[in-house]
Amino acid sequence: MTISKLLVANRGEIAARVLRTAKARGLETAVLRHVAEQEGPAHLIADEVVMIDGPTPVAAYLDISQIVAAATKIGADAVHPGYGFLSENAGFVAALERAGVTFVGPTSEVIDLMGDKVRARAFVEERGFPVAPSAIEDDDPASFVERARAVGYPLLIKPSAGGGGKGMRVVREDSTLETEIETARREGERYFGDGRLFVERYIERPRHIEVQVMGDGQGNVVHFWERECSIQRRFQKIIEETPSPALTPEQRGEICETAAGIARAVNYRGAGTVEFIYAQDGAFYFLEMNTRLQVEHPVTEMVTGFDLVAEQLRVAAGECLSAAQADIPQIGHSIELRICAEDATADFRPAIGDILLLDEPMGEGIRVDSGILDGGKVTTDFDPMLSKLIVHGRDRAQAITRARNAVQNYVVLGVTTNTGYLDEILAHPDFASGDVSTGFLAEQSETLTAPGEDVSDLLMAAAALSDERLVSDVMQIPEMYRKMGGWRN
Amino acid sequence: MQRIFQIDGVETDCWLGHDGSRFVLNTPTGAVACQLDPTGLPGGYKLRAKGVVRELRLAVGPEATFMHMDGRTYEVGRVDPAERLAGSDGGASDDRLVAPMPGVVVSVAVKPGDAVEEGQPLLVIESMKLETTLTAPRDGVVAEMPFAEGDSFGLKDILAQLAPEEE
Repeated sequence: MTISKLLVANRGEIAARVLRTAKARGLETAVLRHVAEQEGPAHLIADEVVMIDGPTPVAAYLDISQIVAAATKIGADAVHPGYGFLSENAGFVAALERAGVTFVGPTSEVIDLMGDKVRARAFVEERGFPVAPSAIEDDDPASFVERARAVGYPLLIKPSAGGGGKGMRVVREDSTLETEIETARREGERYFGDGRLFVERYIERPRHIEVQVMGDGQGNVVHFWERECSIQRRFQKIIEETPSPALTPEQRGEICETAAGIARAVNYRGAGTVEFIYAQDGAFYFLEMNTRLQVEHPVTEMVTGFDLVAEQLRVAAGECLSAAQADIPQIGHSIELRICAEDATADFRPAIGDILLLDEPMGEGIRVDSGILDGGKVTTDFDPMLSKLIVHGRDRAQAITRARNAVQNYVVLGVTTNTGYLDEILAHPDFASGDVSTGFLAEQSETLTAPGEDVSDLLMAAAALSDERLVSDVMQIPEMYRKMGGWRN
Repeated sequence: MQRIFQIDGVETDCWLGHDGSRFVLNTPTGAVACQLDPTGLPGGYKLRAKGVVRELRLAVGPEATFMHMDGRTYEVGRVDPAERLAGSDGGASDDRLVAPMPGVVVSVAVKPGDAVEEGQPLLVIESMKLETTLTAPRDGVVAEMPFAEGDSFGLKDILAQLAPEEE
């Protein structure tokens, strides 16, 4: 089977990124656009833009029948789902199959298995891979609270059908366990339509380390090394890097081989990520497997030199992987920063606004995967992530320096973004030494959001002098009065 | 000419004048001679003030001026003093809870007439897939809860109103 026309069933930076590779491989390309959505880079790259509609913009991107119909209508023989939306929806894969359209990703069986955190965990545990102590509500709902207690505090409650940190609650005291279970259940029902829960021991000061894997469904599975994603706010990653500064070469080999082993156990096809919790003592436990391309995949591409989307397209077309394990290097160091429209000083509240000026950094070792255009509008219709800044350096120190320079020169005016906050994280001595955990941002929140040098006078002077009406009014006042000013101190 | 600038919620009254050779911004803490020249980059300027020269990128929005300087981004709100006087509606800011972003009401914990204490949960909202509990900004009595469970609300909608404090 060959792929000649690809529909990207996604938007924003990831749609643009997938389209670039597809075009470079000579495919015809198409992308979706909601009727009320701003024009983005993806719409300029794709050969064809298919309009979709729905009660909300997000609902349109989740509308399986509409998207399958769009693929059929334009004659696409494959669909790339990106991440989020329908990328891990087995029903979508099945619907495409019925329509004779190739899904760029794993089989619906594997998506189903790994999408159910409880089944995935049991599957992995049964095959001898490490998992953290836990209690699963489904095993015996009546005794769930008692079994949760037995896991011990602190513990973490998660929706069985969850992902992306939604609905997760840390419980440190027995007195709050039952109310937190109820809150998590409500959130699970609302976000995932599934209120089933599970509980696991919360590892203190854990690191989040994940491994990129790739399989061709023909028995070949390789890993593309690890990524460290411990810099998270509200359980969501905002800085990722590879290699992880925490791992020794032996540990790296062990964790990467474990991930590849899990992928082999399901004869994995496509790109996937096996996520682990890594404890301070070096132990690591399986967290979940994401059966799609990750947001942070570019750091892997920067150190290995592979185009993971190209590999996905090869495998989807029935070809073998282009590389054996020994051909996949890990050269230098790469860091990704997620540029988000949010106010880091106000609990990461999403920000909206018109992009009045956009100037993205360029230069050696700098890659920007952007989902925005100058003059665009940032709304709350979609996720607050606007773009990704990825840098590569010969070592971690150079990568940090390059990342700082680049993010300081990432100009987005008109909507609040986290660029200054990201720079503060990069400048923090604990980040420089690599001594971080997933709690780092919360622990350091005061340091990281402390006000900088007071430049109010300079800002007000610039605001006054760029106010054309004000300047013109001032110049129309007779000179004698102008000189007097409003008052004198 | 007078302008009120707002930075991080702090308002400052300023007066811009021109002494025949240069602009002078009078602030409550002193007079700042200043000059702004374009650099040729989009929105690029060189600001001379307080004995320093800073390069910045600048964009003027309808209500605020946005600036990028030394790797940091700033927003300076511009308030016209004349509009300020006309726009006053008499309500004190701590009487109401204003929606920080659009969302949906998950649950409502109080009803009009209830006495509440500062910090007491009034309602739970969901915005951007996150639940947030909104609490009373001060001790008082609930005057209005305009939204019921399941209702959608927009940015800056009033989610709860307390009765005005008695003097």
